[in-house]
Amino acid sequence: MTAMTDLTDLTVLSIWQSHTQQRLFRRLLEAFAYPGRLLDAADSGTTARLAILATLLDGEVDLADPHGLIAPEDGLRLMASAAAPEQARFVVADAARAPDFTPALGSLESPEFGATLLLEVEQLGTGSPLFLTGPGIASQSRLVMQGLHPDWIARRADWVSAYPLGVDIILCDAAHFAALPRTTHIVWEGY
Amino acid sequence: MNNTYELPLDEAGYAFGFMDEYAKKEVRRAILKAICIPGYQTPYASREMPMGRGFGTGGLQLTLSLVGGSDTLKVIDQGSDDSVNAVNLRQFVQMTCPGVDTTEKTEAATLIQSRHRIPEKPLTEAQILVLQVPYPDALVVVEPSEARRKTMHGEADYSRLLVKLYEDIVKFDEITISHRYPTRIHGHYIIDPSPIPRWDVPKLHQSKALILLGAGREKKIYAVPPYTLAEPLAFEDVVFSVEDFRDAAGIRRACSRCGATDSFLDEFSNEAGEKIYQCSDSAYCDEQLARQTSHAQTTNTEVVA
Repeated sequence: MTAMTDLTDLTVLSIWQSHTQQRLFRRLLEAFAYPGRLLDAADSGTTARLAILATLLDGEVDLADPHGLIAPEDGLRLMASAAAPEQARFVVADAARAPDFTPALGSLESPEFGATLLLEVEQLGTGSPLFLTGPGIASQSRLVMQGLHPDWIARRADWVSAYPLGVDIILCDAAHFAALPRTTHIVWEGY
Repeated sequence: MNNTYELPLDEAGYAFGFMDEYAKKEVRRAILKAICIPGYQTPYASREMPMGRGFGTGGLQLTLSLVGGSDTLKVIDQGSDDSVNAVNLRQFVQMTCPGVDTTEKTEAATLIQSRHRIPEKPLTEAQILVLQVPYPDALVVVEPSEARRKTMHGEADYSRLLVKLYEDIVKFDEITISHRYPTRIHGHYIIDPSPIPRWDVPKLHQSKALILLGAGREKKIYAVPPYTLAEPLAFEDVVFSVEDFRDAAGIRRACSRCGATDSFLDEFSNEAGEKIYQCSDSAYCDEQLARQTSHAQTTNTEVVA
C-alpha cells in the first residue's frame, strides 16, 4: 500500500497546469480577436514561446521546428508529432531568419488547415511599426517590434493573397505576444 | 470484483469545466481558426455532454473551454435568465466550475451564453458572447450536400440563396425570414447567425465584443470577430429591415411592464384574450423598471420635502 510514489514533493511547472493554460488561452483569444494588441505571458513561469505552444498543442496536432527552438524535453511534453514545415499545423520559427519554406495554406473547402506560425522576434513593443487594419481593429492598430526579417511580411502577403486560404501568425518575444490573423492587412514603412 | 477498491477522491469528481483538457484544446484551436476566418464554419470534435444535443451543447462546450475562475457568467434563453434552458445550463456551470460567478446583469458579465437573443444593452470589448446554434449552415435550404456547400462557401457563391430570397419577394412581396437571417461576414462567408430575430442582426455589425457561435450536434464553431463587417443579405431595392412594432395607428408599442419603446417585444395573450407586449430581454426590462422606481422615489421625496 505504501509502495506508491509520493507525488506531493514534485513541483509541476505552472504552464503544464490547466488553469494556467486557460488563462493563457483567454489572452490568445484576445490577441486574435484584436490583432496587434500586445499581451503578456510573463506569469506563465516560462517563455512566451513555450507557454503558447503548451496552451495550444497536444497529440492531435503536429509541429514543425525547423530552427530547433524547442528543447527536447519540452518537445516530449508538448506531445505534438513532428512534421515538415510545409505540412505542419503549427510551425515555430526564428523571425530573424528569412522564411525558406511555404507553410500549409489550407484549401478552399477547408481553409482551417492553413498553418499557425509562431514567430519569435527579438523584442515586441520597441522598434519599427507595422500598421494594421482589418477585422478586430476599430480603425487602425500599430504593432512595434525588433528583429523581424522583412521577407516574412512579403511572403505572408503572398500566402494570404487568396482568401480564405492563408496562414495565421503569432509573434512573440521572451514574455509578450500578439497575433496577426490572415484577415489582417499589414502596411510596413520599412518596406 | 474488488470490493475494497475505492475511487481516488480526485477521480470521483469532475475536472474544472467538466470537459477533459484534450477536449478543451480541440475547441480552443477551432475557436482561434474561426476568428481568423470570420464566418467560416470550423469543424471540431464535438463531445458528448450530459444533456441532449439541441439543448445548447455547442454553446456549452464553448463556454466550458473559455471559462476560468475570474469570469462572471450570464446565461439567457430567448432573452430571459429564468427560463428552463438558461437555469439548467447556469446550474451546470456552477456545479462544474467552482469559483465562477454568475449574474443576470448584462453589464456585469464577462461571458454571456445565449439562446436566440443578443442582449439589448450594447456589449463591450471586455465581454464575449456565445450563441447556441441549432443549424449552422445558411445554404442548407438550397443545397443538401455538405461537400458542395463547402465549395460554395469557399467560393462565396451565394447565388442560389439570393434566388431563394428573390422568390420570397415574388410570392409574398417581402423576404419571409423572421429569424436566422443570412448575414455576410467580412464580405465573404454567409452565416446562419442562430435563431436571433432580425432585430438583433445589426448588433453583429462592428460589435465591440467577440461573438462565438457553437453548433454541438453539427460539430461546427464559427465567429464574428469584433469590429467586423456583418451585412444581412438584401437587394439594392429591397433593403433589410428589422421587426416593426408599430400598431395599426402607427404608434410604437411599448413594453406593458416597463414601458420601454426601444426593445424587442414578445407578444402574449392575457386572460381576457387581449394581446400584450413585453420586453424579451428580462434583464433590460428589470433595469428600466428599477430606474423608474428609483426615479419615482426621488420625485416622491422631493414632493414630501
